[in-house]
Amino acid sequence: MLGRRRRRRGTDFVDPDLPITPMLDMSFQLLAFFILTFKPAPTEGHISMTLPKEEGGEFAIPNPVAENVPLHYIVRVTATDAGQIEKITLRQEGSAEATGKDFKADKALYQAELKTLAETLKKDNQTAKLTLEIHDKLLQAYVVQMMDIATQQDFKDISPVPIDPQKR
Amino acid sequence: MSQGNLDKCEPNFTPLLDLVLQLVMFFMLCANFVLDQTNVDIKLPKAVSAKALDQADDYTIYLNVNEQGKVILTPSDYFKDTDGSTATSLDNPGRVLNWLKDRAKTDYAPGADKTKDPPRSLIILRVHEQCPFEKTYAILKACRLAGYLRVQLRAVMESGP
Repeated sequence: MLGRRRRRRGTDFVDPDLPITPMLDMSFQLLAFFILTFKPAPTEGHISMTLPKEEGGEFAIPNPVAENVPLHYIVRVTATDAGQIEKITLRQEGSAEATGKDFKADKALYQAELKTLAETLKKDNQTAKLTLEIHDKLLQAYVVQMMDIATQQDFKDISPVPIDPQKR
Repeated sequence: MSQGNLDKCEPNFTPLLDLVLQLVMFFMLCANFVLDQTNVDIKLPKAVSAKALDQADDYTIYLNVNEQGKVILTPSDYFKDTDGSTATSLDNPGRVLNWLKDRAKTDYAPGADKTKDPPRSLIILRVHEQCPFEKTYAILKACRLAGYLRVQLRAVMESGP
């Protein structure tokens, strides 16, 4: 009979012939694209800093009642016309500029001095704030270097300001 | 003359395909996706003491500063000038200040006292390493004048000596 269904005997094993080659081609193209455009992003971090305070404002007046008032050190960094470090000096607030230590443009000397200072402060259980007086032309790379050196020596309150007080 | 065997002989590509797809997946996941807020043209200075970022801040304002000290706003931000024109970069500190003041108006936590409390956003300053300090300071000053107290300076983390 025509309408009679043919009974299936067992299972017919059909070997599916899936064309993998185009898929592999495409995968290789994708792989090549990602390898060629792969550029690991540099890891960004942040540097602690204190925002400039208004000159002559309430923050600029030291509180005589407060105990353990942090010592205030001033680092002055002048720049060449090309924006590189010309001279670094360090002095304590209130002392004459001429009495400050001069490190020329040697960052290693500056770092060593800050290290000694940080050790002395730790021994005396004192805290200190650091004001970086920076020349207008100094490039950001060097500004960050100066802040970085101070942060490495455990200075917490670091405030970058221009050398000219009128510009603060 | 003898006839060669005509049976098909196909190499098994499946493991190779698996491997390639895994590699593709690896590179896709590690691809340097361009973030909305950061500008890839800004080359950041390097710092050993730069601390890893914490993801705690939901309210952030990104200021990308190029070599000339121009602030490039993120694609979602724009500056509306007094004449009605809009700009996506701010070329002078006065404009930065006006833009930040505008942002600050709507940037307070619910219930905050606008006369006492600072705006809630953290300003993330991404300054190009060749930007002179004069320009950076002008932006820092604008942040302070607009009332923002939380400012973060970005640098590329560098391993110590």
